Amino acid sequence: MGLGDVLPGGGVSKTTGGILGPGTPTFLTSKVDALINWGRLNSLWPMPFGTACCAIEMMASAASNYDLARFGMERMSFSPRQADVLICAGRVPYKLAPVLRRIWDQMPQPKWAISMGACASSGGVFDVYSMVQGIDTIIPVDVYIPGCPPRPEGLIYGLMMVQEKIRQESLTKHFEHRAEDPATVGAPRANDEQVVGLTGPFGNSTRQERLSTGDIPTPESDEAADTIVT
Amino acid sequence: MSTKTVEIGVGRGREMGPGGAAVPSPLAPFDIPEPELGGDRMLINIGPQHPATHGVLRLVCELDGETVVRVSPDIGYLHSSFEKLGEYRTWNQIVPLTDRMDYLAPLIYNCAFVMSVEKLMGIEVTERCKVLRVIIMELDRIFGHLLWLGTTAIDVGAFTPFLYSFQQREKIYQLHESLTGARITTSATRVGGMMADIPEGWMEQLLNFVDEFPKTLDEVDRLLTGNQIHIGRTQGIGVINADEAINYGFTGPNLRASGVPYDLRKDRPYYDYETYDFEVPVGEHGDCYDRYLCRMEEMRQSVGIIYQAMSRLPAGPINVEDPNISLPSKTDCMSDMESMIHHFKLITDGIPAPEGDCYMAVEGSKGELGMYIVAEEGDVKPVRWRVRPPSFVNLSVIPKLAEGHLVSDLIMINASLDIVLGEIDR
Amino acid sequence: MTEREMSGLDAVGEGPVSSDVTESASTQSTGDPSDHPSVEALLERYGDAVSRHRLNAGDQWVVWIDPTRSHEVLAWLKEDPDHLFDMMSDVTGVDYGKGRPVEVVYQMYSTTHGRALRIRCPLPLDELEIDSVCDLWKSANWLEREVYDLFGVTFRGHPDLRRILMPSDYAEGHPLRKDFPLRGRFSRAEQTRRALNQDVERYYLAEDIVYGEPQYAPEVGTKGSQDGEEG
Repeated sequence: MGLGDVLPGGGVSKTTGGILGPGTPTFLTSKVDALINWGRLNSLWPMPFGTACCAIEMMASAASNYDLARFGMERMSFSPRQADVLICAGRVPYKLAPVLRRIWDQMPQPKWAISMGACASSGGVFDVYSMVQGIDTIIPVDVYIPGCPPRPEGLIYGLMMVQEKIRQESLTKHFEHRAEDPATVGAPRANDEQVVGLTGPFGNSTRQERLSTGDIPTPESDEAADTIVT
Repeated sequence: MSTKTVEIGVGRGREMGPGGAAVPSPLAPFDIPEPELGGDRMLINIGPQHPATHGVLRLVCELDGETVVRVSPDIGYLHSSFEKLGEYRTWNQIVPLTDRMDYLAPLIYNCAFVMSVEKLMGIEVTERCKVLRVIIMELDRIFGHLLWLGTTAIDVGAFTPFLYSFQQREKIYQLHESLTGARITTSATRVGGMMADIPEGWMEQLLNFVDEFPKTLDEVDRLLTGNQIHIGRTQGIGVINADEAINYGFTGPNLRASGVPYDLRKDRPYYDYETYDFEVPVGEHGDCYDRYLCRMEEMRQSVGIIYQAMSRLPAGPINVEDPNISLPSKTDCMSDMESMIHHFKLITDGIPAPEGDCYMAVEGSKGELGMYIVAEEGDVKPVRWRVRPPSFVNLSVIPKLAEGHLVSDLIMINASLDIVLGEIDR
Repeated sequence: MTEREMSGLDAVGEGPVSSDVTESASTQSTGDPSDHPSVEALLERYGDAVSRHRLNAGDQWVVWIDPTRSHEVLAWLKEDPDHLFDMMSDVTGVDYGKGRPVEVVYQMYSTTHGRALRIRCPLPLDELEIDSVCDLWKSANWLEREVYDLFGVTFRGHPDLRRILMPSDYAEGHPLRKDFPLRGRFSRAEQTRRALNQDVERYYLAEDIVYGEPQYAPEVGTKGSQDGEEG
């Protein structure tokens, strides 16, 4: 999408050069939304939160054969404070969960999140004690990319879906959509019922539920006692 | 008050000091005094989300000025409990887990796991399967080293080798894809053979790759090996001598860079590696530069092994001819009652193992990759599946290697160890 | 229904296999020890510490030794010029479940003699303690920490025995034990809440580590404020 698509023109000058060359408008009218969205979506700075296999595919996407730079994303922002879109590539264990949440909280609005791969989206094959069952229990996710790992084309398609999403946004609803409650910083995105609902066993892991044969440890708090699975 | 002597080396003379000590550079060393910081130590946290830690590694460094006094690695940020999950999976179901463990050289892990199971069960794979596994293991050694080369070069400020190596990796991705259907998560092997025989045209594709690949390697060689910046960043950094390297459990190129010619392909050969003609590159100084040289030479040797293996790939079946181990062909399943029963039994029951344990070590791209399996009589799943992780043990040496170096050298040392966090944390 | 009669899918649901017998059926030794000089010498010198030996998977020698004397035997295997097992490839644990002892397994290799040997030390469940071999092989440092983390085996004399893979305040137990459910002991909601309450700026100093004692990271870091530095 070029500038001309966003900006319907007026005042066409035949002789002097217009904005886009001779014969093009000398001034333009447009919606502020369209202009800002156009700017945002074509210069997304991804924050690569790569942990495992998917990170390698993310590197392959950035390398010469797939070349993410074609979509305005050549500037991988390794600092969350200058990033627009968080790409969570790979499995996220519980030990890493607060780090992911901290990085998400550090990113300035407007920001978007991509969950790349089966493990980030749902836990994948790792329905185990140490693994977050989908990062959407921790941070809000805009686009899920399926695959184990997704091909670079898949990642590029996911990023283009983020661009599509940006195109729909409007400044008039900015605070509605983008307001953040400081109280939610560092807290899980989903409440307890939602977490349990999102993380139930599925597929092969429905057959992995097994009763503990040993002594259940005494939890430190009463709150934890209610939540022990037997 | 501390001073740090900065030496600028111009190439490394071939004359070596005693015990592989660094040779003084032709240029006179000069002292750069560091600013007085009142003796206060700083605590710097690197990671777990940091582009230079090659994954989700966390390094807590105690610094005196810019000199590392102590570094404590904190791992476990990618603990995926593979070993626990493996206890719930039958032998063949574990294979897909192995390639998610080391996503830089997945085929070596696929092969190592089934080799261990086959050894425990006493299965002798076919000759064709052996040679094919040698080919794919050497291919993935190149695959793993290439990623190491690209990312390590970035860590010392060279971006071009990354693009070069990823172009070559892209070719191996395609080889993976036509062999197994996946780019990284290959799951190519099965107990007693392979998931499938090689597809048509694969050997030509492979030949094309091994013909072209050394040219890229030479280009990278010209970019890095004599590069003054690269030499200055790697020579004399992270030195460890041979005895200590063994005691600290170093294996693979890291150990060989210290001058110990320990290569499992030569010392504890499997799959007739003793009949292949290849050299084991051995370094002298045990520093980052020698580790770099060892890996570069290993890739060249791997190309040689692939050529030899390609010429001796025999015809014949790829899987063992035992209906209790290998799945029958799909055609047989649909037309032959007995094959269908075997198919059903294999899928639902699995392959029973004898009682015992088995530790099978192969030379992975990062070092000694051991697969230790414990089974009870008739088990279709392991009682315990343990991976002896080469980079886990290699990484545990980093507090020793980094002591007294600058922070930027710590990054280089970490990169030169060639770690992969998926396998460290498992 | 015995293990053998179940279908594979049921077996998956049932979890790891653990036999009903409290001791392995084949407790007798197999193999001719004269094939392996180190096994032969071990039997000769430490015959009272060796409970049995087996030849597994064709050519792999396994020797079971008394855990109370493991350090002495392993030190001898490392130092004796006829054996010189200078490379400790792996230290790990095996839990069979059903009350059977947890075994600590050492994989050793001698680069001088080109020999491999596996030593297993069965530890009764009520006394999961063994001497650390960290003073002999530096490579055992992290490997023993991992066994401590995942199996709960205490290594006496280890310089820095802390959890290594799991968070230091992990409350659910030791994951690789057979009585530990695959999905963990707490519900997913509780696990998520606990995970996010971890202090990401937690660190430790070497001065805080009490040598020889199991040590968790002390609470030195403060819960990170959201205004300042990066985590």
